[in-house]
Order: sequence, then C-alpha cells, then structure tokens
Amino acid sequence: MSSPPVDAPEPRRARRHHPVVRLTHWIAAAALVVMAGSGLQIFNAYPRFRARGAPPFPLWPWEGTPAPKWATVGGWLAGGRHWHFAMMWVLVATGLVYLAWIYLHGEWRDLVPRRGDARDAWQMVRFYLGARPDHPVQGKHNALQKLTYFALPLVGALCVASGVAIWKPVTLGWLTALFGGYVWARWWHFAAMLLLAAMAAVHVVMVFAVDPYALRAMTTGGHDPALSPEARNARPFHHLLPRWRDWRTRADLAPAGEAAAPRAARTPGATP
Amino acid sequence: MTRRVLLGLVDQAVEGLTATGASTGASTGASTGASGSPGEGDARSAVTRRALLAALARTTGSALAAAYGASLLAACGTQGPDAARPLLRAAQRRNEEVERWLLRHTRMGAPLDRATDAPAGAAFPSYHVAPAVPVWDAAADGPWALEVGGLVARPLRLSLDALQRLPRVAQRVNHYCVEGWLATATWHGVRVRDLARLAGARLTGPGATARYVDFRSFDVERPTAVQPDAKRAPGADAGAAGGAPHAPAGGAVPTGASARLADLRAGRDYHESWDIESALHPQTIVAYGRDGHLLTAAGGAPARLHSPIKLGYKNTKYLTRVLFTAERTGGFWSDQGYEWYGGT
Repeated sequence: MSSPPVDAPEPRRARRHHPVVRLTHWIAAAALVVMAGSGLQIFNAYPRFRARGAPPFPLWPWEGTPAPKWATVGGWLAGGRHWHFAMMWVLVATGLVYLAWIYLHGEWRDLVPRRGDARDAWQMVRFYLGARPDHPVQGKHNALQKLTYFALPLVGALCVASGVAIWKPVTLGWLTALFGGYVWARWWHFAAMLLLAAMAAVHVVMVFAVDPYALRAMTTGGHDPALSPEARNARPFHHLLPRWRDWRTRADLAPAGEAAAPRAARTPGATP
Repeated sequence: MTRRVLLGLVDQAVEGLTATGASTGASTGASTGASGSPGEGDARSAVTRRALLAALARTTGSALAAAYGASLLAACGTQGPDAARPLLRAAQRRNEEVERWLLRHTRMGAPLDRATDAPAGAAFPSYHVAPAVPVWDAAADGPWALEVGGLVARPLRLSLDALQRLPRVAQRVNHYCVEGWLATATWHGVRVRDLARLAGARLTGPGATARYVDFRSFDVERPTAVQPDAKRAPGADAGAAGGAPHAPAGGAVPTGASARLADLRAGRDYHESWDIESALHPQTIVAYGRDGHLLTAAGGAPARLHSPIKLGYKNTKYLTRVLFTAERTGGFWSDQGYEWYGGT
C-alpha cells in the first residue's frame, strides 16, 4: 500500500446532499408516484377533456383513451380521490420544506440559471452525443441538471395550482378562470403531470446511465469525487459499452496527477 | 457516538468471522480510508472491516431500493394497504374542514367557464341507480309531492303546482361530476333557502338545530341491479349515452359488508345529506325545469336538487323529501366511500 500524496487535491470520500435534501427527495419520489397513479385513476373515470355537449377538445388527440390499469393507484374512483387528496398535502409539505431548506442554506445558488448556462447545457448535449470528447467543467451540477432541477419546482407549482383549480372550480373560481376554465385547468394539470413524469423518467434513466453512484449519494450521502461523472468522463451507458467505444478517452483527459491514476485504472475503459 | 458503537459491532462481527484475534480498539475510522495510516496491528482488521462495510453498504442500498420499488409497484391498481385507510379518512376530514372554510370565506358568484359554457343540451348525461329510469307511479303511490320536514316549525307537502308557484329562480350554471366532466345548463326551480324559510327550519336557538339537510329520492337501487362486491362510479351503470367508462375494481367491499348486504336486500333509496351552509347557498335549488322545459324522466322529474357548489352525486334526483336534521345522515355514494362533503 503506497502512502497517499501529501498534496492530494481532495479527499477521496466526501459527503453529498444534506439529510433534509435526501429525505425530501425520497418522500417526494414516493408521493409523486402515488399522485400520478391516483391521478390517472381519477382521469380514467372520464378520460377526455371536452365538456358535455362541447366541440372536441383541440389539444388532446387521445380523447377517450384511458390510462392502463397497472399505472393507476386507488382501485376505484373514490379510492383514487382519497389517495390523491391525502398525498397532495404530503407532496406540498415536502416541497415547501425542500424549498425553504435550499433557500436558508443558500443551495438555491447551485440551481438558479446564470448567464452562460444555456451555452454550457449545449456543451453537455454535445458531450452526451459524443461530439465532444471531454466532460465540460461543472459545479455541483452540470448545466443540464441545473436547468432541470430549477424547472422542477416551477412545474410542480403549475401542477399544484392547476390541481387546486380543478378541486375547487367554484369556491376558487378565479383560479380556475386563470387557467381558462375547468376544462382547460384539467388539461393544464394533466400536461404538467406529463412534463413532471417525463423529467422524472429522464432523471432516473440518467442516474443509471451516467452516474449510478448518485443513488448512494442521495440515500446515504456518501460521495466519492473520483467516481463522479466528471472525473470518469462518463457518457450515458458508457460503463456498459464495450471498451472499443473508448477511443476518444485518452490519458491526457483523465484527471491529472498520480492520485488519479489508481482510480482511473479501476474505471472501465480508461487507458493507463 | 452511534457510529463508534456501530463500528464496534462490525468489528466484533469481523472478528467472529475471521477469528484473527487482532485488537479491535483501533480508532481509525473505516471511512477515512487512505488519508489515515492504520497501525500495523490492526491493518488487517481495518481492511477486512472496510471490505465488509462496503459490501454491507452495497447490499443494503440495493435491498432498500428493491423494497422501495416493490412497495410502490404493489400499490398500483389496488386500493392500497389497509393500514393507510385511517390516514386517508383523517385526510378526508381535514380536507372537509378546508373546504368548508373556503366555502365560508370566499365570494362566489359561481362564474361560468368562459371556454366551456356552451349548453350541454341533449348531451347532459342522466344517471340513476335503479335498473330502469325511475318514474313516479301516481296510480300506486298517489300524486307526487315534495315533503319538507325534520327540524321545521311547519312541515310542508308541496305538489308540483305549489312548488312552481313559489319564487322562481333561473340560473345558468355548471354541473361538475365527480368523474371529471362538466355540463352547463339553465336550471329553473326554488331555492332550498326559500323552502327552509317557508317551513320555518330551526337554524338557531336552544335545543336541536338543523345543521344538515338530507335530500331523499324515489330512485331505488334494486337487489337485481347490484353486484355486492363491485365498486362503481356514480353513474357507472347508468344507461346514459357516453356513460362513464370507469372500470370497477375487483376489490372487496372495505367496511360494513354485512350491513350493506341488508341494504341490498331491501333496496336502497338514493339520498345524500348536505351541510346546512351549502344547502342554504343561494345557488342551491330544487329544480323542476332545465333549459326552459320541465324535467324529463331521465333528467330527474318531477324535481331534483341542483347546485354548482357540490359534485353531481350530491345533487339528488327524483326528489321526494327535504329533511332538516341535527345529525349527519350520510348518503348513497358517501356511504360507499365517496367524500361526504363533495364540494366544488
């Protein structure tokens, strides 16, 4: 066992994600699944948007097509409603705790888009597509992640507002009117849900495709900078592909210094 | 502290497994790893311990993730675990408080939806729970009359003629179904608030006061028409064109199954009870006409309850009695699991 270099740039192990962030993340993940499932259960009672006697609804080509049974939660309409109207409080409370935490701890700075983020996001897209060999330099998150995580609370707020507009179309008629009426509020709620679901799906795929170690960081908080995507120069599914794909990964792109060498050797495909 | 204890336990486990007899008093944290330099004596122990911890971390992580995923999957397509029922009921009670607070504290003109205020006309669905469209049998039951009773000073029996002579309201409002559809129509009828005044409903004062109103109906669910173990949406078995496609779940009846069976044998009258604030809302009416015509049999003739401030299933059709009560008396769909409040 060789002694570690004195000027090691960073500790091999670090902590990532405060317990509050980790907890709210998993509670929100579970609540979102239940909300989407019970919402689809409710939707299936009338899987279309047009009002009775109204002309066809313009922005939904699948009028009358219900969601598949396996995607529903609650068993029947009343069950779906009970789950939906109970879990909404969990989700909203979790969201508020998370937002309060990132505000009070200044972590919102990691998420708010800045000038140049659009350019950086484009560079990330180029990297993921293989048009750029090296992983762009990033802060805690890359630019694509930043934009996604910043958009998430906004889409969530849209979901909540449109949902309340459907729940109370008379008592809170002004809110429903803001969305263009009950029918359109339903559509907005559905569209926001689809957007959230798409973001969550991409998020999950990217976790497994790019950085499975993020699962550990989000669960126990354990984080190894040497295993982060940036250090591994990881593209989606990179670690699953055969080594001939690594013609672009050259030693001079690996993290410099002898500290990185042993780690790089463990990285699949890195040429020593 | 906890961490130290845990590490001690892990060390003991390692010791037991490898039986090296190495000292376990090492204070070197396993997770500080390469930055610390372990002493010669417990180098082996530390390495083993680290390996074991890493293996544990890997497996527990996967196991937790698997359990999490499985529990989510198990929730799909079912009513969820039984343990969740009390929580769901508690949430429903809290929600009802929020809804009643909103009803009391918001100004409501019940504005029509701008985009969707086209009259539904013939597309207005007609739901009932009886196997066929209920029609009042005057030959058997005598002429139809609306009873207003319960906690009132002057119980009323109003024929359709008498009802039509009372102050008339015409309002074009939305009808929100629990299933998610919306239908607009102009309704003609008498405010429940006016009926309450006419009958002298006991709203204040000492003794029992009317805090709820039960709206009862001659729409009766016959035993032949029901499947005791099937859950339905209000109107799921109605013969209306474009009826609800909601598929009933095969789940068992959750509570009170024996009581319900007794109901089924007798046949159940459709009814729903309301909170007094909603019943006395100016837009809550006993309607005998829609879109300029008397109600049709499918529309709930001779009279039905209608209000935009409650979901469709709370608006009893084929009305027979308006009872002011001190107690909450449930309802046809509320008793089967739908929200009792059902406000919009």
